[in-house]
Amino acid sequence: MGDQSAAASLSGGGVLTRRRFFEGLAALGGVSLAMAGMDALGFGFASAQDKPPPLEGDPKGTKVVVLGAGLAGMTAAYELTKAGYQVQIIEARAFAGGRCQTARKGFQHTDLIGNSQTCEFDEGLYINHGPWRIPYHHRSTLHYTKLFGVQLESFVNDNDAAYVYFEKGDGPLAGKPIRKGQIAADARGYAAEMIAKAASKGQLDAPLTPADRELFVAYMINEGHLSPTDLAYTGTEGRGFDVHPGAGVNPGPGKPSTPYSLSDVLHSKAWRVLSSVSGYEQQRTMLQPIGGMDQIAKGFEKHVGSLIRYSCVVDKIKQTPKGVTVTYTDKFGEQDTITADYCVCTIPLSVLKQIDADFSKPFKAAMSGVAYAPVNKIGLQMKTRFWEENHHIYGGHIYNDMPGINTITLPSTGWQSQKGVLLGFYAFGGEAAKISAKSPADRAAFAVAAGQKVFPEYAENFETAFSFCWHLAQFNLGGWAEWGEEGRKDAYPVLCEPDGRVYLAGEHLSYLGGWQAGAIESAWQQVGKLHARVLKA
Amino acid sequence: MSRSIALLTLLAVSAVCAPALAATPSALYTDNCSACHQTTGKGVKGAFPALAASPLVQGDAAPLASTVLAGRAGMPAFKDDLSDLQLASVLTYVRTSWGNKGKPVSASDVAAARAKLKTTRKTNSLQAH
Repeated sequence: MGDQSAAASLSGGGVLTRRRFFEGLAALGGVSLAMAGMDALGFGFASAQDKPPPLEGDPKGTKVVVLGAGLAGMTAAYELTKAGYQVQIIEARAFAGGRCQTARKGFQHTDLIGNSQTCEFDEGLYINHGPWRIPYHHRSTLHYTKLFGVQLESFVNDNDAAYVYFEKGDGPLAGKPIRKGQIAADARGYAAEMIAKAASKGQLDAPLTPADRELFVAYMINEGHLSPTDLAYTGTEGRGFDVHPGAGVNPGPGKPSTPYSLSDVLHSKAWRVLSSVSGYEQQRTMLQPIGGMDQIAKGFEKHVGSLIRYSCVVDKIKQTPKGVTVTYTDKFGEQDTITADYCVCTIPLSVLKQIDADFSKPFKAAMSGVAYAPVNKIGLQMKTRFWEENHHIYGGHIYNDMPGINTITLPSTGWQSQKGVLLGFYAFGGEAAKISAKSPADRAAFAVAAGQKVFPEYAENFETAFSFCWHLAQFNLGGWAEWGEEGRKDAYPVLCEPDGRVYLAGEHLSYLGGWQAGAIESAWQQVGKLHARVLKA
Repeated sequence: MSRSIALLTLLAVSAVCAPALAATPSALYTDNCSACHQTTGKGVKGAFPALAASPLVQGDAAPLASTVLAGRAGMPAFKDDLSDLQLASVLTYVRTSWGNKGKPVSASDVAAARAKLKTTRKTNSLQAH
């Protein structure tokens, strides 16, 4: 792995090979540049599919029952209906969208422990407690937002002005909110200085010609904002000013800021955040629907809503050589059945594996090969937007190492309005399990106490909270599927193929796990397969 | 998954080395387990298995310790979050509560199960989705 060697190669000592150099650069955020470049050239980093499969040919009234009105189910229903299929959707909840939900005033949720919450945010305020951002390269999701006229706005996924708060480092920067851009400038500046100095003295064991070396040093000067004369990093305007430049002679040119020392930066461990937008899924440019993520669900619902039987919980899935019969209980507690030629089942595996279904043995075994992630989110309504007014932070994440918090995210909507709802925690795994054991009021108190360490105005501005624990949500039992290496190899391919006349679809059957694009593209793939079979039959 | 960021393992390691707070077995259970398995140990039907009267919980220590270390189905892995001593303490608690009659689990039982785990690094990350 490149982690320790990269850190070692940039903190002095040892010979800097070209390989280690690039690992080092990657660690400092260079990968994002490399990846953006590769995507621009079309080297396969974008979504696997950018439009639905063409379902040409007459299905002759073939009936399909779709289980689940989330994005996978509604995608399947929309495309199959368009192609001439007769489709019915069975949905456990009283509303469509699956995990594509938005909590706003009046939204109700009761979890499996029995905690009941009704969202009391002011009109117009909301939290996306499920999916909340769309990478620009999720072209499948963007296909439908465009098709359905769902209006988008920017989601600030990277903000140099946002604070980083790391308690577990050491040195003077530990446990202090510091601006991400300052850490970025200093870490890159010092690294560039060391590399430039070594290169200019011919101390890099890289096959650089003299001309290459000159250009390479020029690049390092540019990268780290180094002095061209002595290759020193002494700060840069980009990290901000102690006194901002302005009018006349006072403030006039302002007062430049002083960089943190290399040792302080290293020991703070705040440099962890510099890789936060270098992953494929975490792009700087991301989007969100104006008014809440559920606008996407509503866009689908406009077209397939009439096909949905709401508040119907699936009890049984039985197959014959000719069709599929699904037994469900409706909201009045009455059992009914629906029979179709085929079934597209988008129920999360965490829930599906507990439903009475006559799947084949290997199929059932494969379903137990996946885990679902405990995931928590909380929206906190604040009576002023102090992060904008006092701290000049417009959207973005406060990364931190507080267990159970992970990130505090400021809203990318409603700029400069009176109030705002921020994301108070977004945690996974054991940390999420721990916090979810608390009552909603205690979860809010926990989130507010943590935020207070970063913003002195946090607690006094807090008004009301809405929290959601996906592992405690009855029809989800987890945020998303987590495939281990073995599960991907053995179980996943089995579930990607139909079991008799049942086709599974959802984020869990994609390599875009947990993303709406995964749900959509999985549905596209399965209806494509189903249609090819119907035409052959 | 691309969301796992290798760099972060450094921090994950330091988190594990932090001194364990001396929590009582029942507090460890409340903190880490009760959200799903409930303080009654009865779980939630159709979602989270009961620990009370469970053969797995009261049986051999090794498979139980492996399950909690590595996670299973919806349950997260606790190998990076809890020490051998903490796991032994909470496992002993569930094996001897709610009418369960399992033998106590020692830290060395957990250490032995931990040693048999395939060593996969914790995929801790600043971000997901």
